[in-house]
Amino acid sequence: MNVNEIVRLIKRYADDVKIVGARQVFAATDKERYLEALTALRDNDLKHLTTITGVDRGDVIDIIYHIHCGESLLNLKLALPKTDLEIETVTDIFPGAVLYERDLMEMLGVQVKGHPDPRRLFLPDDWPKCVYPLRKEVKK
Amino acid sequence: MTFIIPIGPQHPALEEPTHIRVEVKGEEIVGVDLRLGYVHRGIEKALTERPYAHGFYLAQRVCGICNATHSLAFTRAVESVAGVECPDRARYIRVIDGELERIHSHLLWAGIAAHEIGFTTLFMLFWRDREHALDMRELLFGQRIYATGTYLGGARVDIEQKHIPQLIRALAELEKSTKHYIDVCTSDRTVIARCAGIGVLTKKEARELCAAGPTARASGVDFDIRRDDPYAAYDEIRFDVVTERNGDVLAKVVVRLREILESVEIIRQAIDAMPKGPIRAKFPENVLENEAVGRVEAPRGELMYYVRSNGTNKPERVRIRTPSYANWPSIRPMLVGGTIAEIPIVVASIDPCFSCTDRVTIVDAKTGKARIVTKDELRRLRK
Repeated sequence: MNVNEIVRLIKRYADDVKIVGARQVFAATDKERYLEALTALRDNDLKHLTTITGVDRGDVIDIIYHIHCGESLLNLKLALPKTDLEIETVTDIFPGAVLYERDLMEMLGVQVKGHPDPRRLFLPDDWPKCVYPLRKEVKK
Repeated sequence: MTFIIPIGPQHPALEEPTHIRVEVKGEEIVGVDLRLGYVHRGIEKALTERPYAHGFYLAQRVCGICNATHSLAFTRAVESVAGVECPDRARYIRVIDGELERIHSHLLWAGIAAHEIGFTTLFMLFWRDREHALDMRELLFGQRIYATGTYLGGARVDIEQKHIPQLIRALAELEKSTKHYIDVCTSDRTVIARCAGIGVLTKKEARELCAAGPTARASGVDFDIRRDDPYAAYDEIRFDVVTERNGDVLAKVVVRLREILESVEIIRQAIDAMPKGPIRAKFPENVLENEAVGRVEAPRGELMYYVRSNGTNKPERVRIRTPSYANWPSIRPMLVGGTIAEIPIVVASIDPCFSCTDRVTIVDAKTGKARIVTKDELRRLRK
């Protein structure tokens, strides 16, 4: 799918849709619509979730789903306030997301509800609870 | 009744540490569990504490085998963030750099695969011919392993005309021997007995588990970033995306060997089409607030860097998704249903790169301070 087709598909589920360069689309969705958006993408045969990125931006944490769409890349953003860091798992839509969500949970402290295997991924077993290494409050 | 066999973190099958718990029922594997993190170094965090020019060298060191593609992916993302255009000649230098790396990485892997199935002669032959690619990296970019032609805003070094004849000769050698290896691997009884029909990943599984690179292409998934999201000069070069249908270990061998032939052809085209001119554009010290994703096709598959800048000379956030990280979930369907003896070659067949996957930082819970744990402390922790 090219960028224009992606924009047509995603604009029902997201605001602030931007085309960047020739092949990338950035869009911001919200907690009510992101599962519908990801399901719609999957149903359009876009099954490759490149990864999930978490970005600590102070009061909010941005979660970005990077979806490979053939000849373009969609970066679908979901902003979560730090007071309510809970999302639903997307492993039922993209089974390949299983490690990325574990990464997100341990590195940024986002709670992923319904994850089939919510253990730690990289951090050691004796790692203290509630310390998330990629958060801004963790200083050198 | 099932029985659990723990393998690793240190084990003779692979040269990097991981812990695999294999659940067996007699000889048959019924479950697999992985424990990663033994070589986690905190690179994503460390990249945000360094200026872009320093981060470039750190990104290059995420992986010791595909360092050229790591520097290229980082550069691609950072150049998009800063809005810097790379000069034409440098785009071709990047192609030659990336493809030489693919050749040496695939031959390195093929050698390890031959070693895993106990075919030591083939292992030595693969590694003998890998030297051609390493010699060319040394000749063109200054080092056998940690060499890269890329730099922020262009190329690090120019390719000199006097080195081209040597490069062309090395390519001819590589082409000849790779064609021979394809014949060997598709006809030799030992290779077929150990690789055909083993560790199968179906196309459906490969797509669902978001596999990348040769692991996905051996299962018939037609997906290559060089074609789908072209960077450097790949949009001006003709090449085929190699796919196989069977999804077994043999298909993964054949895909990689055929990709070497494509790489040889790509380098030849790049040599012919390379324009003259400057090799580097100026890269600004501070980068305005922006964000971008840079993807390249590493030897192991799609490699992604996400960079967010904040107006300073250091990035706000860097996210790295390496191809081995994407391919780990595929290990389970490849192992389950097989036998214990297949574990080394099946695990090796995704060409796993542990240092690529593991990246983290050490934080003191009481003070919230990050620090590095010494080897002595680690020893004490274990007791």
